[in-house]
Amino acid sequence: MSWRNELLAVWAVTLRNALMGARNVFFFFELLFWPVVGVLSIGLMSRFLELTPAQASFVLVGTIALSVINVCQLEVAYAVLLDVWSKSLKHQFLAPIGIRHLTLGSWVVGMVRSSVVFLLLAALGWWAFDFEVLRPGWLALATFLLGCFLTAWVVGVAVCALITLFGNRAEAFAWATVNLVLVLAGIYYPVSVLPGWIAAIARAIPLTYFLDAYRSYYGFPSEFAAPVATGLALSVLYGALAHWAFLAAIQRARRTGLLLKMSE
Amino acid sequence: MLAIDARDVEKTFRSGWFGRRETPALRGVSLTVERGSIVGVLGPNGAGKTTLLSILATLLTPDRGRVLVLGHDVVREAGVLRRRLNMASGRPSFLWSLRVGEIIAFYGRLYGLSGARLRRRVDTLIELCELGSYRRVPYSDLSTGLKQRVALAKSLVNDPELLFLDEPTLGLDPDVSVRVREHIARLRREQGITIVLTTHYMREADELCDEIAFIKAGRILSRGTPGELKRQIRLGEVIALRLDPPAVTWLAEAPGVLRCVEADGWVECTVDEAEKRLPELLRALHNDGVVIRNVQVREPELEEVFVELAK
Ligand SMILES: Nc1ncnc2c1ncn2[C@@H]1O[C@H](COP(=O)(O)OP(=O)(O)OP(=O)(O)O)[C@@H](O)[C@H]1O
Ligand SMILES: [Mg+2]
Repeated sequence: MSWRNELLAVWAVTLRNALMGARNVFFFFELLFWPVVGVLSIGLMSRFLELTPAQASFVLVGTIALSVINVCQLEVAYAVLLDVWSKSLKHQFLAPIGIRHLTLGSWVVGMVRSSVVFLLLAALGWWAFDFEVLRPGWLALATFLLGCFLTAWVVGVAVCALITLFGNRAEAFAWATVNLVLVLAGIYYPVSVLPGWIAAIARAIPLTYFLDAYRSYYGFPSEFAAPVATGLALSVLYGALAHWAFLAAIQRARRTGLLLKMSE
Repeated sequence: MLAIDARDVEKTFRSGWFGRRETPALRGVSLTVERGSIVGVLGPNGAGKTTLLSILATLLTPDRGRVLVLGHDVVREAGVLRRRLNMASGRPSFLWSLRVGEIIAFYGRLYGLSGARLRRRVDTLIELCELGSYRRVPYSDLSTGLKQRVALAKSLVNDPELLFLDEPTLGLDPDVSVRVREHIARLRREQGITIVLTTHYMREADELCDEIAFIKAGRILSRGTPGELKRQIRLGEVIALRLDPPAVTWLAEAPGVLRCVEADGWVECTVDEAEKRLPELLRALHNDGVVIRNVQVREPELEEVFVELAK
């Protein structure tokens, strides 16, 4: 496949997801409602508990990361979910494209949408709770966002794989797994407070490292030697694994007929 | 040249815990299709028609057998093959809130079209499938027939050399079905597209298909032109006569006559071969002094062949 066709297929999916998103009021609701509720409740809680500004920033970074990842990974999962819901999956796999086009195209939309969410939450945090999102500087912020996007990519592709493996009934299971993983990543607490074996799991999650790196600018010394590099390496590793799992799931669905079953 | 060359294709679906429930869908199907022909796959519900088409279209991998489509192996060379074929089914579904034009354009891009070429292609297909006034209508707001036309337009977006149509006229009103059939015939005539279709409408198969494969319980029972199938089943042809006097006793015993029934003033004789028996019967009746007021010769309907084969 030529580069032109590669980009075109990715662009086609990007355009499709963007159109679907723009047309659906509920998608919009999803985009704004829960993130705002999250930041408000965590922010107010931190005020009630009389946390120091640094501590408040610590938990707010966690909520904001969670929202950004959730919005972005949902969009990546739309790579197959939109087709599963409208029972048009077989047209996708009849076309001469690969899963990379589907997931990358959706990821692009996911990054745009979650960036909007991020800006909104950062503004809200700044206005309501004096949270300074730019204190770490542009580069650190960009790295942090990249970490969130990469985590969302891994999670979204893994959800795609689970859905193509077990059919659309697996949806709820897929989301539950995702949230479990994120909670372990130390969204609201440093990894050092976790008991031994859970901390070991947390250390295997890339997001842990990106959170750690970003929070170090708010006065919480880094718990890891090279958090950004570790986070990136882990993301690439898991991204490759998730991609491979999705590929294998599609091949299996072609064999078992699930691909057809999900399209009728 | 062969567009499809499938040998001994087998497919069993497994479901339940550890795949313990097995549904054999295809049990050794061999099918060849000449380029530029229209082949109909007929058979009762659950016979394996959709399964066969899905395997040929690379949506399903066969358990056993070798399948060459347009010279490519459907498993190992699926990627190349997918550029050259397409498929539409009678129960289409697309993203509900995309508009007709957007749906066709989306698939066009997946097949490598862009810019002015994409726009031209979408325009042509919208015109071809008479969707002009629905271009900006969301898919979920379309009627069944219109959805089908969108599916047909989508299936032509990559100028396929080979087209699979799974019950293309399902649920369409007669007027639209006629146009869809004309359309299918035109695709083959003007663009030389090879078409494999399934249908439950015998009229459609009779009218469109150069050849018909009759499939039942995962096996091809019979194969041939509609005419050949009718002869093969030996249903015979019917010579209907209006006579004066209305009843002739020896007619049922005449050579080549299989049976004779009287209905509404007509005598209907089923004969082995109408072309040979008609002159013989007319001569004999004439010699017997019987006046022949009207004669009709009818082939058996494909429907009767279907019922016979499905037994
Ligand atoms: N995805 C699937 N998973 C499990 N079993 C399937 C699947 N698709 C088809 N089958 C089974 O395989 C057999 C053949 O089905 P198929 O859909 O090919 O029949 P068909 O000839 O197209 O029937 P119809 O005329 O009703 O469309 C049936 O027994 C069906 O239950
Ligand atoms: Mg079918």
